[in-house]
Amino acid sequence: MKEAFIIVGFLEITLAIFMQWQIYLKKIVTTFSISSYAISIFLAVDGIVLNNTNLLVLSALTAVIRGFFIPHFIRKKLNKECYLEREIKAIIPVAASIVVSLVFVVASYIVYHSTLYSFINIPGGSIPIALLFQGIFLIISRNNAFVQLVGYMVAENSLFLFGGYLFPELPFIIEGGILLDLIGVVMISGIIMKLREENVSSIVDEFEEFKG
Amino acid sequence: MLYVLSALQLIFVVIFAPLAVGLFHTLTEKFESKVGPSVFQPYYDLYKLFNKQSVIPKVASPLFQIVPYLTFSMYLFLTLVLPIITAFPLSFGPVVDFIGGGLVFGAIGALKKIASLDSRSNYAHLGTSRTSSIGALSEPIIVLIFITFGVISHTNNPYVINNIMQTSSQWYFSLVHWFVVFAFFMALLVETGKLPIESHSNNEFGMIDQAIKLEYSGAELALMKWGGYIKQFLLMSVFLNDFLMPFWVPMKISLSGVLIYSIIHLVKLFFLIVIFAAIQSTISKYKLFKNFEYIAVAFAFAFLAILVYFTTGGSV
Repeated sequence: MKEAFIIVGFLEITLAIFMQWQIYLKKIVTTFSISSYAISIFLAVDGIVLNNTNLLVLSALTAVIRGFFIPHFIRKKLNKECYLEREIKAIIPVAASIVVSLVFVVASYIVYHSTLYSFINIPGGSIPIALLFQGIFLIISRNNAFVQLVGYMVAENSLFLFGGYLFPELPFIIEGGILLDLIGVVMISGIIMKLREENVSSIVDEFEEFKG
Repeated sequence: MLYVLSALQLIFVVIFAPLAVGLFHTLTEKFESKVGPSVFQPYYDLYKLFNKQSVIPKVASPLFQIVPYLTFSMYLFLTLVLPIITAFPLSFGPVVDFIGGGLVFGAIGALKKIASLDSRSNYAHLGTSRTSSIGALSEPIIVLIFITFGVISHTNNPYVINNIMQTSSQWYFSLVHWFVVFAFFMALLVETGKLPIESHSNNEFGMIDQAIKLEYSGAELALMKWGGYIKQFLLMSVFLNDFLMPFWVPMKISLSGVLIYSIIHLVKLFFLIVIFAAIQSTISKYKLFKNFEYIAVAFAFAFLAILVYFTTGGSV
């Protein structure tokens, strides 16, 4: 499974870089859907190999909720308002974002090898950390609410990858995260779209970007 | 024997390079439901240009006229040192490695730019400026790719790399190799002036490398064009023989083996050209500033290849 973990891990990193490259929201959401399916397949295979039912349930939940339902929900909302398909603003230039993402990948490799590697001792252990940083960077490098939500879910995908592979007995704790995601995405997107439909322009601007 | 094979490789590249370009243009047009030109159109173009009178800008120095001959002969030299139809070094093979070959490509690019600046044409200057800015960012990708291959094979010799890729399924199927393949493919589209980077039309908005030779005419333009065809042919052959499909290239000296592989190589090239034509007819051109984002992604692939190597030691 070590090989599969590294292949899926680097696929996830590549897909996160692809998300940084894209300006069309639909493509970003579709890419996230593909990355969730990849993790789901990995967890399913891991579950079969380890004969762990928890992992199989987690794999199914990942495929249904993160691979299908959430991307489908966002796409459905985007279809209603065609002008939302393309993200106009970008806080950090795209080329610079890609290079910064790479820097994060290197930084995670160094951090992992100088700290956790001595007692976890898994060669690709830095991959989920890199993915976590990339998800967070996706949130801060864009000021569109939907991309920020996707960034949040990319960060959580990294936890799935890390937890699912390292701690196969732990997934039901992470499962709570799925439900929170679901509530977060459905509720917040629903509120934003409702406000946009009602043409409350001043509030729409406020909700375009998530601010603390 | 090696001299005979060297001559054979030279003739093979010089003759079939325009055919590869003709095939690309024909397929692109066919994919767009048009009739398209004949696959032999580049040969007709070269014949026409060689029979035309040359017009030289009055302000240009003699260098302007010398450069097409110089660059064409440098392309011929490159033909003799790269693994095109053999996986064993030919007579001039040991002269340069990948880095050396890259330097010769760089020298050709520099000469072309100096000559185009010498023409004092605004369009040529525009092309030089664009080519330089894109080249400054795309060259490091190529260097990174060569470094990665150097790590894999402990050499920068393209023949050794081909032999390793042919014989070691571990390296061929490794993640490191496939990241390098993607990076080189993206760089190949930049270097050969294909979409989404460059569209070859009469509109100066999309011109990059094409603008450099705008002031040339007659035999000089023919040589510049032919040199460009050879460059494409060489880069595509290197991509096939060292990266994507290194199989069946003869590793032992044998005239019959080389002749048979020459046909196989044309078939391999045909499939690569089909992919290129499919991309050309389905993807739209990027705005100039968006090219840098494309290059950043190619750089990411090349960089990730090195990181994969450090993470896995090439075992995955």
